[in-house]
Amino acid sequence: MTLIEFKGVSFVHETGVTALSDVSLAVGRGETVAIVGENGAGKTTLVRHINGLLKPTKGSVFVDGVDTRETTTATLSRKVGVAFQNPDHQLFSESVENEVKFAMRNFGFSEELVSQRLDWALKFFGLEQYRKSSPLVLSGGEKKRLTLACILAWDPEVVVLDEPTVGQDALQKEKLGQIFRLLQSTGKTIFLVSHDVEFLWPIQPRLVVMSGGRVVADGKISKIMADRELLEGARVTQPQLLRLYAGLRRRPTTPFLDVLEARDWIGGKKESPGAG
Amino acid sequence: MYWLSGGFVFRRVVSPFHKLDPRVKLLVSIEFFVVSLVSTTVPEIALVLFAVLVVSAVARSLRRIGRTIAFSSLFAGFIFAVNFLFGLGLLNAILYSVRFLAIISSTSVFFVTTSPDELEQIMKWTRVPRDIVFAFVTAVRFIPVVMLDAFQIMDAQKSRGLEFEKGNVVKRVRNMVPILIPLVVNSVIRSGELAEAMESRAYGSTPKPTSLYGMRLRWYDAATALASLLLLSAVTLYIYHVFPFPV
Amino acid sequence: MNNIAERMPRLGKTLASIDHLTFRYPDSPNPAVRDVNLEVGEGEVVLLAGPSGCGKSTLLRCINGLIPHMFPGDYQGSVSVGGLKVAETPMSTLAQNVGLLFQNPENQIFMFSVERDIAFGLQNLSVPRQEMRTRVDETMRLLGITALAQRAPHELSDGQKQRAALAGVIAMRPKLIILDEPTSLLDPKTALEVVSLIEKLNRELGITFIVVEHRLELLIPIAHRLVVMDGGAKVMDGPPQDVLADERVEGYGVSVPPIFKLYNALSKDGARMRKAPQTPEEMAEELNAR
Repeated sequence: MTLIEFKGVSFVHETGVTALSDVSLAVGRGETVAIVGENGAGKTTLVRHINGLLKPTKGSVFVDGVDTRETTTATLSRKVGVAFQNPDHQLFSESVENEVKFAMRNFGFSEELVSQRLDWALKFFGLEQYRKSSPLVLSGGEKKRLTLACILAWDPEVVVLDEPTVGQDALQKEKLGQIFRLLQSTGKTIFLVSHDVEFLWPIQPRLVVMSGGRVVADGKISKIMADRELLEGARVTQPQLLRLYAGLRRRPTTPFLDVLEARDWIGGKKESPGAG
Repeated sequence: MYWLSGGFVFRRVVSPFHKLDPRVKLLVSIEFFVVSLVSTTVPEIALVLFAVLVVSAVARSLRRIGRTIAFSSLFAGFIFAVNFLFGLGLLNAILYSVRFLAIISSTSVFFVTTSPDELEQIMKWTRVPRDIVFAFVTAVRFIPVVMLDAFQIMDAQKSRGLEFEKGNVVKRVRNMVPILIPLVVNSVIRSGELAEAMESRAYGSTPKPTSLYGMRLRWYDAATALASLLLLSAVTLYIYHVFPFPV
Repeated sequence: MNNIAERMPRLGKTLASIDHLTFRYPDSPNPAVRDVNLEVGEGEVVLLAGPSGCGKSTLLRCINGLIPHMFPGDYQGSVSVGGLKVAETPMSTLAQNVGLLFQNPENQIFMFSVERDIAFGLQNLSVPRQEMRTRVDETMRLLGITALAQRAPHELSDGQKQRAALAGVIAMRPKLIILDEPTSLLDPKTALEVVSLIEKLNRELGITFIVVEHRLELLIPIAHRLVVMDGGAKVMDGPPQDVLADERVEGYGVSVPPIFKLYNALSKDGARMRKAPQTPEEMAEELNAR
């Protein structure tokens, strides 16, 4: 059942620049949607419409049946948690504890519930030892985890991640991948804006490609990413494993999702062909 | 916010006025300022305001200056009301409020037609210390960046349930804390990065850095300066001659 | 773009030399850089990788002189660039030998117009106006940004800001340029454009580069060497294919591109491949041939 819906949405800035042009999108509960495209294609603008930070100049956005024009960002945020790219644009409290409590208090949670969720969030994100520390002294990776902790503490149905892997090293990315898989397993609806096609590929999300403010592709990632011409036009790169798959003369029916799958098939190839 | 950005931020436009040496532009602004103070009747000050609008038109910035005047008329109206209610007479009340508009708009003309680079040149020319000049120019350069930061911070905090519109005065002030702290922290981090970049490009190696552009007075600069000074003198003498100057 | 290491014969003489460098910030109990030894030859492109907090940023600042001139601390060992000892040479001289481009181009453009910002470093070095004009024009031409000369920084796109900031550094004609995560804020296509710019500068002008990056797959085609750091120490150093084909590299928190991970996995299983592939297409070719 449709949770988030964009109906013919266009958005024009005050400066006259058109950031979104006739975008229509329907996302069901529990879906994972990845949004890709070059900088300026409209990804961030699109995502800001989901929690009402921006209201369409034409068309409408519906969150769980409610038109975003008829409510406030604060109300929508109860259901839609957006993790912005820069943690330094959010963190301000004297302690990590208070930082996590901030949103929950804004939403009117009971103190008991706030404590419970706080304990869970700190434990899950491995931030318990920083409970009383100032958020400003954490490292870059820890700050990113803290912003996610703040959001998941209030348990929104929809989670929007804006470029979560930028500037992260391999270990941090792995941790992020684990958190992501957990989100999926708890049935959350997830929007993932990312340049990092290697991070996206194993997840196999529904893929939405944006270019020049329009949606130029929407569907299975394996199908869309195989279309070199489309990707070139939208200035999106292909994942390496897919490029490898495309270049092989003999190959399984579906592309390799990760290195282990590729190794198993290629390694097995020597003994018996067509193991996929 | 709009008033500030409309009326006092430089916009690159090609016009005869923009082409003038920044010192001449400053001179013209100062002259308007002086003549505004010296005017003693409503017709005179109205003429001054009209002259400012004429110069704005020459600078192809009439719409911007018009906007500045429009936004300032609220305060001008306040000046009028105060003076009138305190019994200084209708004519004087009009005089003072229009004088305010003339001063604001002539200052606005200067800033709208003078780029930060030209401001820098003027400051250097008046022997302001190099560090202060640099701090000023850099501050102006980063105004749009800091404004963007502020909007992004507000978006991030709104997305955590923060509501600006609601609440009494106390609550609203408290709601500024989640905006101000990240803004200040980001500015401090930014200053640190700027300092590193400055050092890495040899800032401070010499007390007298050279520059890519210099100011040069051309014939139309000298002509404009001379003409405006003569006009100013003529007007001032006229005013002095006809009416005694009320101190 | 085949790997440059194969096309060009190896380096000229040593340009930068780091000798048993250990540095500890004053308010920190542990050194950020521990006994690092590194030599960079003229014309090389060295890729520097490692997990967050491994000391990369500190090392960069030790090379361009910010450490110890701007950030004093417990400094042992020595760093020299172009024959000059970094700790004993003033920043004004160092700036003409080593350029450092930081991660965020926004915070490196001070002036209200691109060309004046490019001139910034030259002004500080008291370069006379005529020469300044020539150098600024040349630099803009080199980076393809002549059309942006009068633009204000807030009117530029991310990729353009990156070029403008790089121009400001290049105008000072350093022999060595260090780039700190130059592509992290860019989309992949713009990032590729920046990488080919680096390659062009390296090939045409012989500028030596040290690039810190997480997104290795972008830089591998143009890098001569990959140096890995962990916990303040240098732990691996060699041609990129060799380092990435060494299974230890995954343990150091380096984002190994999938093709190399696959190569390592296959090699471990005993599959014999001629050499580590540069691109997925190369690997496919080789697999097809068997």
